[in-house]
Amino acid sequence: MRGTILSATIAAALCLAAPAIAHHSFAAEFDADKPIKLTGKVVEMRWSNPHAWIYLDVTGANGKVERWAFETGAANGLFRRGWRKEDLPAGTVLVIQGWQARNGSNTANAGSITFQDGRRLFAGSSNPNAEK
Amino acid sequence: MVSEVSAMKKFKMQNAKCKEATRVALGLFFAVGLAVGDAYAQDGPPAPPAGRGAGPAGQAAPGGGRGRGRGAPPAPGPLTRTADGKPDLSGFYEGVGRGANYGLEEHPGATMLPGGQGIVVDPPDGRLPMQDWARAELKSRQTPARGYDDPTAHCIMAAGVPRGFYVPSPFFIMQTPTHVVVLFERMAWRQIPIDANRKHLPDTVRLWQGDSIGHWEGDTLVVDTTNFNGKSWLNEAGEITSHALHVVERFTPVNANTIMYRATLTDPIVYTRPFTVEVQLNRDASGELLEVACHEDNQDLAHMRDVKEAGTGLEKK
Repeated sequence: MRGTILSATIAAALCLAAPAIAHHSFAAEFDADKPIKLTGKVVEMRWSNPHAWIYLDVTGANGKVERWAFETGAANGLFRRGWRKEDLPAGTVLVIQGWQARNGSNTANAGSITFQDGRRLFAGSSNPNAEK
Repeated sequence: MVSEVSAMKKFKMQNAKCKEATRVALGLFFAVGLAVGDAYAQDGPPAPPAGRGAGPAGQAAPGGGRGRGRGAPPAPGPLTRTADGKPDLSGFYEGVGRGANYGLEEHPGATMLPGGQGIVVDPPDGRLPMQDWARAELKSRQTPARGYDDPTAHCIMAAGVPRGFYVPSPFFIMQTPTHVVVLFERMAWRQIPIDANRKHLPDTVRLWQGDSIGHWEGDTLVVDTTNFNGKSWLNEAGEITSHALHVVERFTPVNANTIMYRATLTDPIVYTRPFTVEVQLNRDASGELLEVACHEDNQDLAHMRDVKEAGTGLEKK
């Protein structure tokens, strides 16, 4: 019964959630056909407008470290959801799923953010098809 | 055309499924009396308070419980009035936008834009009476290369009328006998002098938010706005207005917590006839607007310029 309630609640929450407010169209900057999923260490979370950014150092199969920038929702939106500046200290290992920028740079819109222990964070993605 | 009909059918089916999921969830919740927090507890720390501050089911807000919850608004009561007998509209609100920030008409979700239920109440079919050239321009604006052209992408947040009332973001109405001022969290502000004898600015003055003049008709605040610069987009979908736009807005309080907002847009350069949109404005319990300093770190613009250069041959800087 409890599982049914959980499933129904999640389904309702996903349906009811409004797209995160952005100041631009998602598709003008990011490519929904270029999904990525990267694991890396937080270098910095920048609390800025019109979006907050998570900078992640990702070690490739060849041992080379590449820096990626992940766009999240606006700082005020994250704050309302309970995020605080100290929540992602440098060195935190995250798995971030998202969509790469159309210009091919190491930039992406974050769709979901997962800690090593499996907890997931609201990323505030502007992708209409992202989990909210 | 067939694919459009098919997409709309799919959209309506998804809407029906969502309504059913919500009904089932609420029904089970109240029938069994379990706290929603139990459901969250399976995946992470306790959820923040219900309302805007709550994390979505199955996801954790770091340091759960710290969400700046906006909570449920107080139960609606009878209208309160100011000392001069007008309905007291002052307070924090957010519009029930029904996806209008991604298209004023009912539309299915797509790669470029989320879906929406539509807010056009006239014409009765809910479709925008666009001139042919405007439909072609709108189609162009809905390509990735044109996203750069939306003024809000450049952080010009004085985004025109009526965009501020259906963008999913709160605003604050301040009311005196001589002025109504609306402070939008994301869409700048508007000042509305209340003076039925006031004249609009000279035609040579063109503004992003236009020149507004208000007056009361019974309990309805009526606002007449002209002198637009024609550069604003009505939403992220790129819906169009020109410098010829004339907007008449009507703010009709339904009860102490709800305003029914209607805006009639007349723009003979873009549309074949006037059209009217309707948005319910609900009081918001948060009691605060948060800072949005959009120009601070707008990295998106450079990326979107790359896309525009690639897609339209825009000269490289």
